[in-house]
Amino acid sequence: MNKELSLRQIAYMFVFISISPIIRQLPRALASEAGRSAYISPFWSAIAMILITAIVLGLLKAFPGFNLYEIMLQLAGTFFTKIIILGYLLWIMLSLVAKINIYSHTLQFTLMPQTRSNFFLITLIVLVSYALLRGIKTVFRFSEFTLGTILVLFIILFLCALPKVRPDYLLPVSTIHLMDTVRASKSILAVGGNIIIVLFLADKLGISITTKQKRRVWIGVLIFILLNFFITLFTIGITGASLTANLPFPFYITVKSISFFNILERFEVIVTLICTLSDFIAICIFTILTIRCLEWLFQLKEKSFLYAPLITIIYYLTFYVSKTQFEFEFLYQNVILYINLIFQYAIPILLGLLCLIKGKKIKKQY
Amino acid sequence: MIYLFAISIIYTLIKNKDQLLSAKRNLFLFLFLSVIGLALGIVTILNPYFPSIAMLLEKYMK
Repeated sequence: MNKELSLRQIAYMFVFISISPIIRQLPRALASEAGRSAYISPFWSAIAMILITAIVLGLLKAFPGFNLYEIMLQLAGTFFTKIIILGYLLWIMLSLVAKINIYSHTLQFTLMPQTRSNFFLITLIVLVSYALLRGIKTVFRFSEFTLGTILVLFIILFLCALPKVRPDYLLPVSTIHLMDTVRASKSILAVGGNIIIVLFLADKLGISITTKQKRRVWIGVLIFILLNFFITLFTIGITGASLTANLPFPFYITVKSISFFNILERFEVIVTLICTLSDFIAICIFTILTIRCLEWLFQLKEKSFLYAPLITIIYYLTFYVSKTQFEFEFLYQNVILYINLIFQYAIPILLGLLCLIKGKKIKKQY
Repeated sequence: MIYLFAISIIYTLIKNKDQLLSAKRNLFLFLFLSVIGLALGIVTILNPYFPSIAMLLEKYMK
């Protein structure tokens, strides 16, 4: 069995690709729905995250060395599997196009407002092609090695921001807002559901998965929840809930006001860099998943001929999906978020249930 | 950009000729994806200010 990746690498990659939505979209989405009590939402989302992670790990245990497609073939049969994989393919392509869009919008909003989005798209295509030429492992190793540094940078940022946090922006939190915080947690779930990527790459993990590796996945989920909590807390605590809800990139504006003992300033450039790196890795991963879905759907043995037509489709689709940041925000909040919940939670939960029902039959096969 | 993409598609076609001709499925998929990609590009060139999907949804959902 080809053991190309480890569960630890995938867990760290999950945290890494989650960073950009956590710092760019979530504080705004949470503040607009739950106001000053928004920082409680990550704890509600933890419940669903624990459930989906347990399902993913359960499926890995029940089907060692099998990927999502092979698991589905065992549980749902060829016809339904092909339909679901087609759905996943369309969803991943939409996510990929959305990611590329928001990547160029972020760069335009922060560092290069005069540059046209075409420039970012072309440079991105070149960079992603180069990264993927080096192999899938390079992408995972990059996120594994960079994540530690980024987390340390966040800890330094939080320590610097601590004196600026205003308790009156965060308190009091009343039980009346409790339901708002629960409702707002759907935005976090739509990002955290990316943990199902583990299933897409499960055949590269090998047959035996140790308890230590499973613990890494749980640590990844914990980091995701804590990062969410602290970033929302600091953004609302410094900028205020109403301003956070109305700014396009509130964490970026919040970081602008932070300094390290009045000596070091302008940390926002680091935030942009982190965001860009996270998006870049996410785009690489979604490209890999798109190719995998096509391989599964059409039973392909070779895939090198797919790159050129796929790049053409994805490049032009970015213009068709959304053109401005406002359009993207609308599309994300009203369409992509709910589609994410279906593909990241509903289908894996259904698979988990099928696995429980068909458990005995499946065991007989081994 | 469309010329660049068209050239890269033709280059892929020549480079992976054996793979594409070995199975009808490969050739069909390659042509299908290429036609979609190039058609999207041609429409973008002919009408660069077309409304995006997000804009259309925003218009009809509100």
